[in-house]
Amino acid sequence: MKAERVELEAAYILHARPYRETSQLLEVIGRQHGRQGLIARGARGPKARWRALLQPFRPLHLSWSGRGTLYTLRNAEPAAPSAPLQGRRLLSAYYLNELLLRFTTRGEPRPELFAHYTAALAGLADADNAEVPLRRFELALLTESGYGLDADRDALHGAPIDPEQRYAYQPERGAMPVERDGDEQVVLTGASLQAIAAGSFHGADDLRLAKRLLRQLLDHHLGHRPLQTRRVFAEMRPPS
Amino acid sequence: MSFSPSLQELLDALRCLPGVGPKSAQRMALHLLEKDREGAARLVTALATAAERVGLCTRCRMLTEQELCPVCAATRRDDTLLCVVESPADLVAVEESGGYRGRYFVLLGRLSPLDGIGPAELGVDLLREQLGAGHVKELVLATSATVEGEATAAYLGSLATEFGVAASRIAHGVPMGGELEYVDSSTLFRAIESRTAVESV
Ligand SMILES: [Zn+2]
Repeated sequence: MKAERVELEAAYILHARPYRETSQLLEVIGRQHGRQGLIARGARGPKARWRALLQPFRPLHLSWSGRGTLYTLRNAEPAAPSAPLQGRRLLSAYYLNELLLRFTTRGEPRPELFAHYTAALAGLADADNAEVPLRRFELALLTESGYGLDADRDALHGAPIDPEQRYAYQPERGAMPVERDGDEQVVLTGASLQAIAAGSFHGADDLRLAKRLLRQLLDHHLGHRPLQTRRVFAEMRPPS
Repeated sequence: MSFSPSLQELLDALRCLPGVGPKSAQRMALHLLEKDREGAARLVTALATAAERVGLCTRCRMLTEQELCPVCAATRRDDTLLCVVESPADLVAVEESGGYRGRYFVLLGRLSPLDGIGPAELGVDLLREQLGAGHVKELVLATSATVEGEATAAYLGSLATEFGVAASRIAHGVPMGGELEYVDSSTLFRAIESRTAVESV
C-alpha cells in the first residue's frame, strides 16, 4: 500500500477515544481527504503535545502520514479560535458529529460535507434559533448522501407538487398525496415541503415540521442502530 | 524468550496497570520472584483485600471500604458546598489543593454523548438525591477543562437550576485539554477561588 503524507489540512476532530497505553485514536474530517482515523501518540500523557488543541469543534490544521487505514498524526495547529459553543448548543454540536460519523466512511473525500459542517458549527454559535442550523445540516447531509427531498414532483403520478395539496413524505419514495393525516407519517402541504427542501424555515411550526420530517428520513437511513447522542440527550431532560 | 506458564500469566496480569508495558512488567515480576518474595506475598494480600473490600461511597461514589468515605464521614465540612469531579484522582487533587472544605460527588467519568455515556453512567440519580435533600446551596463544577468537561458542567448546571441550587464552574487556570490530576495544586487552588457561573442547558 502506498505511503501517504498530508500537510496541514483544514480539519475537525469528530471523536477521540483512548488507544493503547497513552495514545488517542482520533476520527477527523478533513476538507480535502474527508474522514480519516489518526493515531495521536502520547496524547493522553501529562506532557502530551497538542493537548489543548485536540478537542472537538475546534478548527484545526492537521498533518498526518502513514499507510493503511490508520495514519499517524504529525502536527496540529489552531486554524481559528473555537466557536463559542455553550450549554445546549454545545450538546447539539455532538449530535452533528455523530451524524457525520454515521453517514461517512474513512478515506472518502467529502469537501461539500466539510463546508456544511463548518457552516453548521458557525450557525450553532451565532444563530438566534439554534434549530435552524441543525435542520439545514440534516437536510444537506441527506442531500449529499443521495437521499435528498424531492419537492418537485409527487411519488404517485409524477405530478408537480401542488402547494395547497397535503402530502405524506415516505423515505425512498417521496411525497404521496393524502387526504387525511395518518397515524405514523409526517403529513405536510406542498408549500411546506418546498420551503423545507429549500432550507427556509419561517416560524416555529415550520421548524417543528422540518424536525419531524428530517428525523423520519434520517432514522430510515440510519437503520436499526439508534443515535447515542439522542438517547443521552433524552436522559438529560428533567423528569416531568 | 518463553517463560513458564505461571510467570507468563503474571507478566500479562501486570500489564493491566497504566504505564506498564512488556519490559516494565518483566522487571517487576523478576524483581518480586528473585529478590523480594516477602514483598510479593504482601502485595498478594493487599491486592486481594483491597479488591474485595473497597467499593464506592454510598453518598459521593468515592472509593472507600466503609459505607461512607472519610470526607463524607467528616463532621467539620461545609454541607452547603458540593464539588463535582470526574474521578477519585481528581477528588484527591482538589483535596490536596487545600482550597476547598465542602463535600464531593464523583462522576466516575464525564459526559460523552457519542460513546453513550450520559446521566445514568455518571450516577446522576444519586446526585439528584443529594440536591433534593436541601442542604446544598452551591454546586461547584470541577470537571476537566476539555470540551466534554464543559458539556458535563453545562448539563450539571441545568440540573442545579432545576433544584434551585447555584452552580459555579472552576475558572480556567487549568489549561484547555488538561485533566485535573495532572495540574499543580496552586493552579487548582486559584481555579477554585475564581469559579464562575455556568450557562444552563
Ligand atoms: Zn463519600
